[in-house]
Amino acid sequence: MSRFLVLTLNGLTQGAIYAAMALALVMIWRATRIINFAQGAMAMFTTYLALFAVDHGAPYWAGFVVALSSGLLLGAIVERVIVRPVETAPPLNVVILTLGLLLFLEALAPMAFGGQIRSFPPAFSIVGLHLGNSQVAFSPFDAFTLGSVLAVMVLLLLLFQKTNLGLRMRASAFNPEVSRLLGIRVGRMLTLGWALASLVGALAGVLIAPSLLLYPTFMDQVLVFGFTGAVLGGLDSAVGAVVGGLLIGFALSFVGGYLGSDLETVGALVILIAVLMVRPRGLFSLQRLRQV
Amino acid sequence: MVAAQSRIDRLVRPTLSRHLLLALGAAVLLLLLSTQIGAYDDYNLTAVAIFAIAAAGLNLLTGVNGQLSLGHGALMAIGAYTASLLLKDHPLPVVVVLLVAVLSSGLTGIVFGYAAARLRGPYLAGATLTLAVALPQVATRYKSIFGGEEGLTVPPTSPPAWLGADFPPERWLAWIALAAAVVTMVLLANLLRSPVGRAFKAVRDNEAAAALAGIDVARTQVLAFVISAACAGLAGALFAYWSGVTAPAGFGLSLSLQLITAIVIGGLGSLAGAVWGSVVLVFVPQLTSGMASSLNVPSSIANNLPLAIYGGILVIAMLVAPHGIQGAFRRILTIGRARWGHTPAGGQKGVVDWDDPASDT
Amino acid sequence: MLEVTDLTVAYGTVVALHGISLTVADSSITAVLGANGAGKTTLVRTISGLTRPRGGSVRLDGRDITRLAPEEIARLGVAHVPQGQGVLAELTVDENLRLGGLWRRDPKGQRGALAEAYELFPPLASRRHLAAFSLSGGERQMLSVGRALVARPRMLLLDEPSLGLARRALIQIMARIKTLVAERGLAVLLIEQNAKSALSVADDAMVLHLGKVVAQGRAHQLLSEEGLRHAYLGF
Repeated sequence: MSRFLVLTLNGLTQGAIYAAMALALVMIWRATRIINFAQGAMAMFTTYLALFAVDHGAPYWAGFVVALSSGLLLGAIVERVIVRPVETAPPLNVVILTLGLLLFLEALAPMAFGGQIRSFPPAFSIVGLHLGNSQVAFSPFDAFTLGSVLAVMVLLLLLFQKTNLGLRMRASAFNPEVSRLLGIRVGRMLTLGWALASLVGALAGVLIAPSLLLYPTFMDQVLVFGFTGAVLGGLDSAVGAVVGGLLIGFALSFVGGYLGSDLETVGALVILIAVLMVRPRGLFSLQRLRQV
Repeated sequence: MVAAQSRIDRLVRPTLSRHLLLALGAAVLLLLLSTQIGAYDDYNLTAVAIFAIAAAGLNLLTGVNGQLSLGHGALMAIGAYTASLLLKDHPLPVVVVLLVAVLSSGLTGIVFGYAAARLRGPYLAGATLTLAVALPQVATRYKSIFGGEEGLTVPPTSPPAWLGADFPPERWLAWIALAAAVVTMVLLANLLRSPVGRAFKAVRDNEAAAALAGIDVARTQVLAFVISAACAGLAGALFAYWSGVTAPAGFGLSLSLQLITAIVIGGLGSLAGAVWGSVVLVFVPQLTSGMASSLNVPSSIANNLPLAIYGGILVIAMLVAPHGIQGAFRRILTIGRARWGHTPAGGQKGVVDWDDPASDT
Repeated sequence: MLEVTDLTVAYGTVVALHGISLTVADSSITAVLGANGAGKTTLVRTISGLTRPRGGSVRLDGRDITRLAPEEIARLGVAHVPQGQGVLAELTVDENLRLGGLWRRDPKGQRGALAEAYELFPPLASRRHLAAFSLSGGERQMLSVGRALVARPRMLLLDEPSLGLARRALIQIMARIKTLVAERGLAVLLIEQNAKSALSVADDAMVLHLGKVVAQGRAHQLLSEEGLRHAYLGF
C-alpha cells in the first residue's frame, strides 16, 4: 500500500479516538464551563480496572464492560464529590482541582496496579484485512474502533436530540438558572453529563491502550491531542470536537509518518498555536446567544 | 530618639531599601544555616532554593498576572539543557552558565508569550499543557544533541580555591543557589511594587478596565510570561548542577504540576508563599520515603506517594483553603484585627478571576 | 395561596428587602409596583428560590418553601417568568414549551397544554421548529409565558411581562391570564414598572420603594390615591 494511504487510514482510526476524547472534554465544557484536565487520567484508571478484571480471568468483553461502567461511575462520583462543591469558585480554582485529580490518579494507579508497562489486549485482530490479493493497513480492530466511536456518538446524539432527558440536559447546560425554574433538577443533569463524558473517555482508553501500551501516564498525550482537537473545533461545538479530533488524527499521522514519531506532540503544539493565534477561540467558534 | 527613628524610617521606607535589607538579613541567616548543617541538608537547601525560584516566577505569571501555565516544567528543561550543553565539553564559570540559561529560556518565553498573548483561560492552559508534553519529546528525537532518553551529564561545580580544599561542594552549590534565590526574590518583590507589577494585577483583575486605563495588555502578558520563563530557566540550570543529569524524564508534566502545587500551597500571588511551597515539595518525598522504609512499604507505593499527596493537596486545598498557607496567615490576621475592633482588610484576593468572555451565564 | 412574612433579603451589606409581608390569594392578581431598584425582582427571585433570604418566610398553601431549591419550588406548581424573558435561545420553540411541563410526567396532559399554548400564541405555532434566538422580542416573551403556562401552575410569578412586548400582545397575554385566574384559581404575582396597566388588571397591589412597602391594598384604592401615584408610580 502506498505510504500516504497507510498514513491516512492510520490517521482515521487514531483520529476517531482523539475525537472521542475531544467529545468528552466538550461535553463537560458545555455543561459546566470546565476543562476536565483529569479526563485522560480517569480513562487511564478505568482501563487499568479493565485489565485487572482480565488478569483475574475475565474474558475481554467483561473487561470492556468494566471499563465503560466504571467510567460512568467515576464521572458521576467526581462531579458529585469533587466538582460540585466548587461550582461557584473562580474557574482557576476548578482547573487546579482537576489537575490535582490528574496527579492523584496518575500516582494512585501504579500504587494500586504496579507501575510497570503492561500490554492491553485488543478487541479483535490487529492484522490488516485482505482486500483481494493485497493486505490493507486496516484491521478488524481498526474497524471496531471506528465503529464503536461512531456508535457512541450516534447514541449520544439520539439521547440529546430525541429524548426528554437529553432535552433537560441541554437546557441545564445552556442556562442552569432558567432550567431550575422549570423544575429541572440541574444537579442530577450535571452528574449525568459528567458520567456520560467519562464513559466516552473510558472507551477511548480501551481502544488506544493496545497500541500505546498501558502505563500510568499513557493517556497524557491522548488528552493533549483530544484537547487540541476540541479547541480546533471550538469548545462549544460537539460536532466541531469530532471534526477537530479527526483532523488532528490525520495531521499527526502525517507528521509522525514523514517527520518521525517523536515529533507528533510537537506537531500538535505547532498546529494548536497556529490555529489559536488566528482564532483565539478555536476554528468553529461562534458567538452564541445564550439567553435573551 | 525621634531623630534616630526618622533616620531609620528614611532608610526603611523606600521599597528597594526595605527589600535589600530583608534580603541581606535572609542571606546572612541562610549562610549561617548552611554552615551549621551537613552536606545532605545543604543538598536539600539547594533544592528548596531551586524550586523557590521556579515557583516564584510561576506565581508571578499565574497568581499575580492570572495566566495559568502548565508548561513551566518544560521551561525549566530549557534552562537545564542549555546549562548541560554549555558544560558538555569544557567548564565555564557558573555565573556565565546561569545567565545564558536565563537568556535562552527568556527568549523561549518571548516566542511562546507572543504566540499565546491572546489566549485566555482554558486555551492558554491547553497550549502550555501541550508544551509540557511536547518538549521532552524533542530531546529524545534529536539524540545526538540532547543525549536521548539517558540525557546529558553535568559535571559538579567545584568550590573556588580560596574557600579551602575541605570546603564541601554541596555547600558551595547551596550558596550559589541561595544567592540566586535571594537576588530573584528581591527583583521580583521590587517588580511587584512597581507600576509593572500593578499592571500585572490590573490585567488579572479586569482586563477590559486595564486596557481602558491605558495598559498595553498584550505587552503585559508577554512580559509576565518572559520573566516567569527566565526564572524557570535559572532554576532549571541550577537543577542541572544539582542533579548532575539532565534527562527528559525529569521534566515531564508532573514537574509542571508540582510547581503548581507549590504555588497553591504557598498561596497564589504570594512570593513568600513560593518558599513554603518549595519546602513542601522538597521535604514531602523525604518524609514519605522515610516512612515507607520504616514501615516496609513496597517501592511502587513509596515512589508514588508524594505525587498522590500533592494531587490530594491540590484537590483538598481548592475545596477547603484556596488561599494556601500565606492566605491562611492573612486570614488569621484579618479575623484577628476584626475581633480587636479594626476594620477588616478589604477584598481577599488570594485566588484569581479567570477572564473568560466566552461565558455569559 | 402565597404568604410572604417579614421577608428580608440582603446582598452582602446591601439590604434589598426590609421585612416585606404580603399575601396572594388564589384566583387573584397582585401587582408589585415601584421604580427600578425598589426590590421587585429580588422579591420574586426569593419566592421562586433563586435567592436566599436573610430572614422571614415564604409559605405556599401553608407549606414553608423559604429554603427549598428553585426546582423543588417549581415542582410545587410555582412558575416564574423571569425578567428579560429567560428563553433558552439555542433550543427550538417547541423544545422550550415542552420543557415547561416535563416535570409533571404527564404526557397526555402535556400534549393538551402544548396545544393550548399554540392556540393562545399563533406566532409560536408557525415557528414551532425554529430556534428561539430567531424570534422577535415580543415572540420570545410569548414563548416565556406560554412555557410557564404549559406547566399548568397554580402560582404564576411574572416579572415585567410588558418589557419588549407590543401592546396588543400584552393585552392578549393578560386576557388569557385573567381567564386562567377565574377558571383555574391561578394566583398571580405581577411585577410591573408600567403601573397604570398593571393596576387595570390587578385585584390587589403593593408599592415598593427602596426595599420597603410604602403602600398596600386593593388596586382601585391605589389608583385613586393621587399623591401616591405621583410620588411612586409615575402617573
